[in-house]
Amino acid sequence: MSRRGGVSLLWIGLAMAAAMWMTACSDSSQDDPVGDQRLVYRHALDGAPRSLDPAQASNVYAKILAVNLYDTLYRYKYLARPYQLTPNLAEGMPQVSADGLIYTIRIKPGALFIDDPSFPGGKGRAVAASDFVYSIKRHFDPETRAQGAWLWQERIVGLDQWQKDGADYDQEVPGLRALDDRTLQIQLISPFPQLAHTLAQGFSAVVPREAVEHYGREFAINPVGSGPYRLERFNSSGAVLEKNERFRQHPLSLEAEGYDPASQARLGLNALDGRVPPFMDRIEVPFIAEDAARWNAFIAGEVDFIKAPVTQFDRILASRNPPTLSEELSQRYNLAANLESGFVHTDFNMDDPAIGYHPDPDQASRNKALRCAIVNAFDWDQRNEVFYYGIGRAFSGIIPPTAPEFDAAQSRLAPQRDIAGARKLLREAGWNPRNTPVLEYGFPSSVTERQMFEQFRSFMADIGYPPDKVRPLTFATYGDYARAYLNREVMLTTTGWTMDYPDAENTMQLFYGANASPGSNSANYVNPEFDRLYRASATMPPSPMRTSIYRSMNRIVMEDCATISGISRTLILLWNRELAMLPDRSFVGGFFFRFVAPGVGESSLRGESSD
Amino acid sequence: MGTRRTWAHLKGDRAGLVGLLIVLFFLGVAATVWLGWLGQGWSEASGGRWLTPNADHWFGTNLLGQDIFARSVYSVRTAFEIGLVVALVSTALGAGIGALAGWYADSWIDGSVMWLKGVLDAIPFYLFVAAIAYALQGQWWAMHLAMIATFWTTTARLVRAEAMKLRSHDYVRAAQAMGLTDMRIIWRHVLPNTVHILLVQATIAFVAAIKTEVILSFLGIGVQDGVSWGLMLAESTQEVLAGHFANFIAASAMLFLLVLGFNLLSDAMQDALDPRGGGA
Repeated sequence: MSRRGGVSLLWIGLAMAAAMWMTACSDSSQDDPVGDQRLVYRHALDGAPRSLDPAQASNVYAKILAVNLYDTLYRYKYLARPYQLTPNLAEGMPQVSADGLIYTIRIKPGALFIDDPSFPGGKGRAVAASDFVYSIKRHFDPETRAQGAWLWQERIVGLDQWQKDGADYDQEVPGLRALDDRTLQIQLISPFPQLAHTLAQGFSAVVPREAVEHYGREFAINPVGSGPYRLERFNSSGAVLEKNERFRQHPLSLEAEGYDPASQARLGLNALDGRVPPFMDRIEVPFIAEDAARWNAFIAGEVDFIKAPVTQFDRILASRNPPTLSEELSQRYNLAANLESGFVHTDFNMDDPAIGYHPDPDQASRNKALRCAIVNAFDWDQRNEVFYYGIGRAFSGIIPPTAPEFDAAQSRLAPQRDIAGARKLLREAGWNPRNTPVLEYGFPSSVTERQMFEQFRSFMADIGYPPDKVRPLTFATYGDYARAYLNREVMLTTTGWTMDYPDAENTMQLFYGANASPGSNSANYVNPEFDRLYRASATMPPSPMRTSIYRSMNRIVMEDCATISGISRTLILLWNRELAMLPDRSFVGGFFFRFVAPGVGESSLRGESSD
Repeated sequence: MGTRRTWAHLKGDRAGLVGLLIVLFFLGVAATVWLGWLGQGWSEASGGRWLTPNADHWFGTNLLGQDIFARSVYSVRTAFEIGLVVALVSTALGAGIGALAGWYADSWIDGSVMWLKGVLDAIPFYLFVAAIAYALQGQWWAMHLAMIATFWTTTARLVRAEAMKLRSHDYVRAAQAMGLTDMRIIWRHVLPNTVHILLVQATIAFVAAIKTEVILSFLGIGVQDGVSWGLMLAESTQEVLAGHFANFIAASAMLFLLVLGFNLLSDAMQDALDPRGGGA
């Protein structure tokens, strides 16, 4: 009884916090003499960024804000699917030398940092190629506590050495040079075809040295960029962005953005062709982690966009395949079913002799049979139905559907459960309820994770695995959990991987031997043939041959039964019909903010409600 | 303390009898679970998702299709296991420490006990218990330890006062004169005369342990492997948003009944065992 009261109090508290925040917005608007003339877009986020410093933009929320406050050299086309890179601050795609080692990039003229006290006279100066050099160097400076260095580690000539030499910004890095104010040259140690993708990440955003030195640690909450928006306010309950009036004038070309009239005409984007973004004067981003509060704010018209909570899918969706909006809601909202650019998978710790590699070949073979039986027993249809409302995409393997190299034929959708096959494998390998090892399934303590564990235990019970031998290994926080599996202490690790760029190399590296824990290979999987293929493909540009290699690697991992994989979740994104936009939580991410525009019947967007 | 007179007093207290019946009912349910007659399928996903109550699933099913009745019933066992362990250990610990402190009143032993008790009592209860449970998470006994670490203090305070009083009684002085050791006197003559306090305190600790377990499990730092009303309530926070209330109603109703039963019983026992109330 008391808990109910507690939960209600929590909701009331959240609602009050949201109301106070909205009120704060309203007050500031009233102070603004042109407040009621301005176009406002209110985008609810289901979490909060930890920092607005691009070097620390490691979570999805930070990335969304970072690419609006700062500029990156590249971004993903607003409307093209599959996702395609396009120049952002760069004038064009990089010029790459014949050996694939030297990238030369010109930046657009006229890009300016916002006005800020850190600049002489408080006037923002022009963005130069040297700012990009500085911004990448920051990732290798221990003082920055940056989280994106892995993107360029052991890739750029002299950069790792620069770090070892003490990270002196006045010392030049041979492989990272500004040839002049608008020309940047990057020299690689070995070909890295994904380099341009890394330059579309929030981590690679351009920051001015003056501001970093002026604000010190406070730079994390005082962003000074050249992006389409500047920060008006930021606290634990939300952020408010104002249009950067000095943002470069570059008209939107729907064709160049990959506009598909057949499927996208309903979005009302036509009128925007040729107009100069950003289109909205102000963007309010409340952070509303609680599903119920977020949903209620949306239904009440307090925000224009939300990632819909799964608990409301029954009410939201009229059909699942494809997901369509219910009649009632379609009068007011638009829907986009956004397949995540990643997947959820459960890895076996191959370093654990009870389930993984074993010095005795016979036992190693029996362990493999046990793993394969567990893989066969896993019911992806049920997992999808119960936790993802049946609209996720289950597939076999480690190349998710959003990767260009995904092979629908090989990675059959909804991998079939094979109870009889699993039982046969166990029997033939001599496993029985008495001699099967205790399976420890790790997870950070939460209701959903616990329910996933219980479902896993019931799957195992179906093949005769004693329930008392499938045990939870719980951790208070995700950090504790991550620490444990990075220390190889967890037998079964369930994690989600969000791809950094649309290239299956980004998931292949999850099983590359050299990346074993504490690296990203949490399965601690080591297969010489897989590793050989990984090294061979790592320097290859996209090609049918490389795709073929990736698919072979995919097969190897699945045949070794090193992981139970996987499912890509479908996010349901809802937004106010009065807005002309196509939101995205995948590779485009926050880049779409600049293209959000009022559509038909835009009245509610003009400085009303929260503003 | 006359057992007959206590029972007679208890029989005359209707609310106390209702409490006793409720507790006995739940004890019976827990026994059937211990014996393997009820609730054994609590982890099986045997039905469809969120089924309404029906002949196969009396309380309906949850998100995973697990039987809510089986889970509720199995949670009675969880509650009694935790309640018993915490009540017995914390009461025994409080009795021992309190008797020592009372017997050696104004000595360094008493001073240390009172200082420790003061420190523990100064920390907000749920914050302290949650901190210990959080720090030791992953250990099945973390929650038990967290509760025992705080529950013993009240018992110790009451027993200490009783021991100080008993120390001046003639029969205790006689025992001293006969050369019995302090420990023997405490064990044979002091502690047995604090039973009326211990019984009531154990009952209070029992129900407090159950409530605390529910709260800790709700927060994810309680029961790790198994099911409890706290875990069911935690699950229900997501289900009620989708309009499914069976988990919430089942867990909170059973928790309410058991807590009500224990509260009525402990009130009645307090009256019955109170030497000033004529019950003993």
